[in-house]
Amino acid sequence: MAGDAVTLTAVAIGVPWAGSILVAVDRKHSRTIGFVAALASVAASVFLLRAAPVRDSLNEALMVLFSCLTLGATLVIPRRDCTSGTIGGILFLLGSTLLAYSANDLRVLLSAWILSTVPFFPEKWFRARTWRPRLGLLLSSAALALAVAVIAAHGHAMAIGGLKGRNPGGMSVFGLLVLAVIFRKGICPAHAWVADAADGGPTIPTALLLNGHFGAMLVAKLIVPLFPNTARDMFPLLSYLALATALYVAIRALTENSPRRLLAFLALSQSACILAGLESRTAEGITGALVHWFVVAASTMGLFGVLRLLEVRFGEQLTASRYLGLAEHAPRLAVFFIVFGLALVGLPGTLSFCSQDLLIHGTLESHPQTGLLLPIATAMNAVSIFRLFARLFLGKRRTGFTVMADALPRERWILAVGVLFVVFGGLFPNAIVAPRAAEAKLVEQAIYLPADGGSVCKSPAEPCLKQDPLRNAPAGELTRIRTFRCLLPGR
Amino acid sequence: MDYSQTLLVFAVLAPGVVFAVLALGWLAGWIPSERVVSRITSLAFSASVFALAVVFWRLAATGTPAVILTFGNWFTVQNYHFPLVLLADRLSLPFLGMTVVLAGLIGQFSATYLHRERGFLRFFLLLHLFAFGSLLAFAAGSFDLLVAGWEMVGITSVLLIAFFHQRTAPVENGLRVFAVYRACDIGLLVGVFALHNWSGTATFAGGLPLLTGSRTSLLCLLLLLAAAGKAAQVPFSGWLPRAMEGPTPSSAIFYGAISIHAGAYLLLRAQPMLAQTRLASAMVIAIGVITAIHGTMSGRASADAKTSLAYASLTQVGVVFVEIGLGWKTIAIAHILGHATVRTLQFLRAPSMLHDYHKMHSAIGGELSPTGKHLEELFSDRVQLWLYRWSLDRGHLDTILDRFVIHPLMRLSKLFASLDGLGLEGPQSRREAAVSGPSAAGQGDV
Repeated sequence: MAGDAVTLTAVAIGVPWAGSILVAVDRKHSRTIGFVAALASVAASVFLLRAAPVRDSLNEALMVLFSCLTLGATLVIPRRDCTSGTIGGILFLLGSTLLAYSANDLRVLLSAWILSTVPFFPEKWFRARTWRPRLGLLLSSAALALAVAVIAAHGHAMAIGGLKGRNPGGMSVFGLLVLAVIFRKGICPAHAWVADAADGGPTIPTALLLNGHFGAMLVAKLIVPLFPNTARDMFPLLSYLALATALYVAIRALTENSPRRLLAFLALSQSACILAGLESRTAEGITGALVHWFVVAASTMGLFGVLRLLEVRFGEQLTASRYLGLAEHAPRLAVFFIVFGLALVGLPGTLSFCSQDLLIHGTLESHPQTGLLLPIATAMNAVSIFRLFARLFLGKRRTGFTVMADALPRERWILAVGVLFVVFGGLFPNAIVAPRAAEAKLVEQAIYLPADGGSVCKSPAEPCLKQDPLRNAPAGELTRIRTFRCLLPGR
Repeated sequence: MDYSQTLLVFAVLAPGVVFAVLALGWLAGWIPSERVVSRITSLAFSASVFALAVVFWRLAATGTPAVILTFGNWFTVQNYHFPLVLLADRLSLPFLGMTVVLAGLIGQFSATYLHRERGFLRFFLLLHLFAFGSLLAFAAGSFDLLVAGWEMVGITSVLLIAFFHQRTAPVENGLRVFAVYRACDIGLLVGVFALHNWSGTATFAGGLPLLTGSRTSLLCLLLLLAAAGKAAQVPFSGWLPRAMEGPTPSSAIFYGAISIHAGAYLLLRAQPMLAQTRLASAMVIAIGVITAIHGTMSGRASADAKTSLAYASLTQVGVVFVEIGLGWKTIAIAHILGHATVRTLQFLRAPSMLHDYHKMHSAIGGELSPTGKHLEELFSDRVQLWLYRWSLDRGHLDTILDRFVIHPLMRLSKLFASLDGLGLEGPQSRREAAVSGPSAAGQGDV
């Protein structure tokens, strides 16, 4: 069984990497090679997910999600962008990201982290025109590398499973990991690179880079399990930063006129909510964050995809500073855009309605004052996305164009699949929420219940909830207990 | 599930199913003719009216207070769950009936009114989505489900305001309305959270939970924020005249009949809690009185028929708020039903208003005296002039909102933008140029 898992993981990661080499040789069939490699990766990831235990299938689910996004990208990417370099870079990114998700060793995780940034440095791949994206990625890699080095210097093993609850390297490593999250995720004040990357780099590969959500992955995979005590005490700081980022970027987006930058801000604001939810330390908040991860990834990929399709049809100088009236030329693309856009900000009937509902409950429960920033930021994002939709698609019909094709069948069907995912996910959310709820329980327990059954609980003031008869108390009761414990002497 | 429950589900789902079929068909390349669309619409709403009539008859005949239908939980996370409960009681049934009857009539009217209009199908798609959202909100057995319907009503409302999207004014106004809706909906979202947190449930199918005084007050004030936003009560009234940019049938059903009364429905639903808190009740009454005065004054200074009707609507909804604040639940429901019906008729007749006026003028055989003039004469000329300026600027509400909320927010956003661009060449400037012509790429690059 374990051997099967290793083989499937190798297929999921190795085939895209092999594909990225193959497209350099056979440039004529880049899209076909990309599609087949991504499809193989999807298939292997699905088998992995089916074999994984229900309560511990987050990594496998994320592998399926990211490989599906890449599969969609290989189809939706316009012919102009479909070069061997782009497809090769996307496949390389897919392999690296899946490696990071499946890594159980710090060195492998670090390698995957660095490899996933590689396509964004060479001029011929996805290098942005400004220096900030490169700096952001570089600093995040450096912070993670330093953290791993300090852990190694303290003589700890490199297996992530063996480090759970052991606080390896103490506060310095915790701080470095948080720094890595801040730089990679684009948390304030390191947020500007995200918009620069979207604005000055290739749209769809950049969207894939952002939707790897490596920052959130590091929190769920490393910070919470390895540093339960520190996370319990220091994590709210990261949560406040995430909420501040969500609001700051939402306000920033209100006057942004570059569609790419605006979408990047919206994606950043919504993905900052994921961090806030993960930190909320409530089952609702963590589940909401994990579900929102899926929503943000699918919606922002759809939005960036539609935007790129518009750019190749109507020129790259699209602006939200005036009405362009493109709905007359591309009504289906307009519908896809508004559905993905509203799905990002909690439209009822889409999956994000559920994730936002859970996120708001979770964050308000853990931080009644700052949690209020979350619905405010989401409301502003909704206004921004509607403004962008209105400016791009509504207004007087533009003349001077030759007849432009609306979504081609290839694009239409893959975008329709994305829309169906967010809509059916919203109509039947339990298929996605229930597994995430089980995984959320693990994340929650990692904070309140260290893996060794309580050995890291240092004082009676921090009893492990496993031994606590009130473990199954109602949520409100549990919150009161937690609040009470925080007030006990010695904390 | 007995037949009345089945019929309730059918009535709520019918417009949603029609929307889904038409939308998916369109995405797949099917463009139905106007006749097909209007027939499907008539059929769906007629069936819904019939279904709700049977439910009503069943309740009346058996003396059952309500039809409750529980589908379990939509999703569950540990102790938190999102209950899927439909409820048809003496409060929701009149609203459900009003929705299907008026939406059906509007569908019939629009088939002729919007004949050969570009966007005919879009209008009907949004009408069905709106009807589904409204029915969901009115039939919801919990505040969670009510939020879903509530938001759907908001989105469709905005998309219909921007229906004539070739002109920029409707789109700009739609955006403004959307912003106000979203801001006020925060009250509902936080209120539902508070209810969950304090009582463990947001279901009202079995009666609302009892809370302590301060909690009840806070909860009612949060719900009042949402209700005031949706019902365009002061200080959020500025969006209502802007919403008149949409086609007349949508103005009729949204701002004459259903959407404008959704806020009142929310307060009626929360009435048992409202009755426990004097602070919130007083706030509801105060807002209602101020809105009624504001509505009647601004309406008198309005130059176009639809805006006058919108303000007349606002005045009546203000009075309904007062009735709810005073606890006169039955009077409020009767007032809403009567008002919605009459106002819908007035809105639908608005394009023929001059014709109607002349017809009435000749029928009466003399001059039609202007109504309400006696009220103005109670004030001195100076006060009249001041009131006129105040009314003409619609109570300065938009000016206040612009000066104290929107402009500071925009300035803050620009400040953040300048901070972001500190010391950089500004990649934004590269994209500032508007679309100037066809893409440099040929179709082959697409």
